[in-house]
Amino acid sequence: MKHYTKLVRPYLIWSLLIIIIPLLMIVVYSVTTGGNTLVNIQFTLDSFKKFAEPVYLQVFLKSFQMGLITVGFCFFIGYFLAYTICRFSEHAQNYMILLVTIPMWINTLLRTYAWIGILSDNGILNTILEKLGFSSISFMYTDFAVTLGMVSDFLPFMVIPIYTSLSKIDHSLIEAAHDLGANNIQTFFKVTFKLSIPGVVSGIITTFLLSVSTFVIPKLLGGGQYMLIGNLIESQFISVGNWNFGSAISVILAVVILVAITIMRKIDPEKTEDE
Amino acid sequence: MEERTIQKKHKIGSALYITLCFLFLYLPILVTMIFSFNSSKSLTRFQGFSLTWYERLFTDSEIMGAVYVSISIALLATVISTILGTITAIGLSKSRKIIKEIIINVNNIPIMNPDIVTAIGLMILFSSLKIEKGYLTMLLAHVCFCTPYVITSVYPKVRNLDPALANAAMDLGATPFQALTKVILPMIKEGIFAGVLLAFTMSFDDFVVSYFITGNGVKNISIVVYNMTRRTNPTINALSTIVILVIMITLVIVNIVPAITKKRSKKNFELEKEGIFIAQNKRLKKYAGTAAAAALIVIIVLTSYAGNKETLKIFNAGEYIDPDLITEFEKEYNCRIIYETFDSNESMYTKIMSGETYDVLVPSDYMIERLIKENQLAEIDWSSLSNSDNLNKDIMGKAFDSENKYSVPYFYGTVGILYDKTVVKEEDLKDGWNLLKNTRYKNNIYMYDSERDAFMIALKALGYSMNTDKKEEIDEAYNWLIEQRVTMNPVDVGDDVMDNMIAGNKALAVVYSGDAAYIMAENKNLEFFNPDEGTNEWFDCMVIMKSSEKMVLAHKFIDFMLDVEHATINSAFVGYTSPVEGAYQNMLETDYKGISSYTPVMGNKGNEIFRYQSAETKGYFADLWTKVKAH
Repeated sequence: MKHYTKLVRPYLIWSLLIIIIPLLMIVVYSVTTGGNTLVNIQFTLDSFKKFAEPVYLQVFLKSFQMGLITVGFCFFIGYFLAYTICRFSEHAQNYMILLVTIPMWINTLLRTYAWIGILSDNGILNTILEKLGFSSISFMYTDFAVTLGMVSDFLPFMVIPIYTSLSKIDHSLIEAAHDLGANNIQTFFKVTFKLSIPGVVSGIITTFLLSVSTFVIPKLLGGGQYMLIGNLIESQFISVGNWNFGSAISVILAVVILVAITIMRKIDPEKTEDE
Repeated sequence: MEERTIQKKHKIGSALYITLCFLFLYLPILVTMIFSFNSSKSLTRFQGFSLTWYERLFTDSEIMGAVYVSISIALLATVISTILGTITAIGLSKSRKIIKEIIINVNNIPIMNPDIVTAIGLMILFSSLKIEKGYLTMLLAHVCFCTPYVITSVYPKVRNLDPALANAAMDLGATPFQALTKVILPMIKEGIFAGVLLAFTMSFDDFVVSYFITGNGVKNISIVVYNMTRRTNPTINALSTIVILVIMITLVIVNIVPAITKKRSKKNFELEKEGIFIAQNKRLKKYAGTAAAAALIVIIVLTSYAGNKETLKIFNAGEYIDPDLITEFEKEYNCRIIYETFDSNESMYTKIMSGETYDVLVPSDYMIERLIKENQLAEIDWSSLSNSDNLNKDIMGKAFDSENKYSVPYFYGTVGILYDKTVVKEEDLKDGWNLLKNTRYKNNIYMYDSERDAFMIALKALGYSMNTDKKEEIDEAYNWLIEQRVTMNPVDVGDDVMDNMIAGNKALAVVYSGDAAYIMAENKNLEFFNPDEGTNEWFDCMVIMKSSEKMVLAHKFIDFMLDVEHATINSAFVGYTSPVEGAYQNMLETDYKGISSYTPVMGNKGNEIFRYQSAETKGYFADLWTKVKAH
């Protein structure tokens, strides 16, 4: 198979051009001033200093908080869903997993718009509440709406890897645990859960990544004053026009996420064996 | 045995839980589908069955264009990234360790990087290389983020291959190419299929990357949906219903038909990573392959075919024109209009600064002044505008372009407060802009999500000029806004204010007079007023960029919009006050009869027009605005 080693060359060049260079350019922008032209740039750390102001740190914390909450809900709902699906016949399992994947094919924005129709002050949910005799509740433009939108959007990304891990578990291991006197709870935590960790790690990483950096869902369900890190970056590039500051925030976000992922990966036994 | 009965009891609970989860996942999809059949525009109340939105869908050239872009980009990106990814994965398994590690780590970057960072990197790259943004850049970007997924799907399969196999094939006389196609590829095909499906899904559903790197009017479905916030448009619901049905039918054919004709082999669900089904039937796969190839050829032919006509690039605010007028103009002058929209003057400016060029722009007063100062605009040749006499002279010759050398009025108006007569007390209106700080209306306010308008309100409320460059005054306005944010908890909205106010969701909203007219025509409980402290008198005008090479056609377009009949149609659609005298009179008698805000109160004491800000002042405002938003 030595003949095929040359096959990596196109991608080597491609990735240099379209993955590495853009990243380097973001870094260059983040440590310079001079606006959007690279003609008269000057080195500076002002953008990073600016980020250290409490307002922006607050946005950063808020994003991570929302990210963690979303991941938490996705994990509990998703793990239990994947686990429950695994208890059905293989045939039924296939169909259920298919049903989990289909929403991923439907445009995210459209699903978010549908949530607006459901949650708005005179929306479907409130109409139902009023019919039942309750007073209407303002769901829109709250943390609740944003979390709900994110969980519903990202849940499949949690369920599928966990399901994959769970379905691979050799059933005889669980029987063996039972035979050795472990009760259901012990078996679950000592055997099943441990064996599903690779799926859990992959699910958590994906959902965390998606929820920390999204700017569409907070904008639509949280309103224009709802500022997460993704919105901050978007506004710097699209409306404020301060690319230097926008790049600096991007760099910080990328680094923090990279660190978080590396830590998560350490928990995954399979991945470490891999190396 | 005991376990069995326990399991049965559990099963009811399990089924219930699964049903609930699916309900949660499918609720938005269901709502989308149901409201695609609604006879009215509402997305919250079902008022009767109709297929209007489906009819509209097929005549809506913007949506159909977006469908074409989404599908063709997804197909091309999938094919390219699958080939690139597969050969890389094959080569990778036998490469030296160092190269292997470099590639695997680099490959992880687009997967592990937030979308928005990938998008920005590519946008900066294309901008600084001065590559014109559009179809090609979108395709490149999609290949960029799809390929890593193909590699991660295929590589594990390649690694599990016995290397002796390929060698054996070659020992038996196969060329390396034959060994590759006859031995290696068939053994890793499951990984490749997983990669194909992932790549297609990723590309088809992408918004963030496409949003940042698109240009030249190339829009995929997501971008069109995102731009639709101004007025809900159930045509897009019709589209997604069709998409859902197509996916469902495809999956049924792929999975159930073979299951009936042939017994399922146990191994068919090997696809670990994403759990997406794979055609088990070889014949079906071949058909799918042929169909995809045919589709690709059609696409390539279509792409090369488009574009013999003269084109005119127009950049206007979102939903700020009746799309029928564009079609009519195209027919009349046998040309093609590339029509793009922006959501604020600032984002328009950013786009131009990133190297994008247009023929006709429709910016506001202060932005026109800035573009004039920066020498971006071409002078208007008024003698070629046969309809120029239709213009209302009162609204011309304003300070931003005192002789109308560069700008032709498009719409004009003021900014004021739209209020619900049934909730807001008449006497509270005396407070002017400070009404927005009246705690009786806490949680009941929409603010307009725009830097200059937000500061205008605060500055006017404090009695200052909205064009101030004094730091103390600006700081005071900043404090006013922060205080309002804390005490009133307002929601910042953009064009979605229209749907929300029509639905009567809140009592107060800061809106443009034109939007107010449109909203008031739909909701009779609302009234509009201009606070006495003064407000922003704004003028949106058509201008021609200096870089334009289509001067004649651009003038024809401007002249076309000044025609009384066209201006009437446009004003009726958009709701804004027309500077074309005849159209204005028509509107007063028909669509906007009795609606006060269609006639903006101009010339009040304290009213001003936004002026150009120095870079320093602009930066100062921008910083504070970001802080207000982040608060």
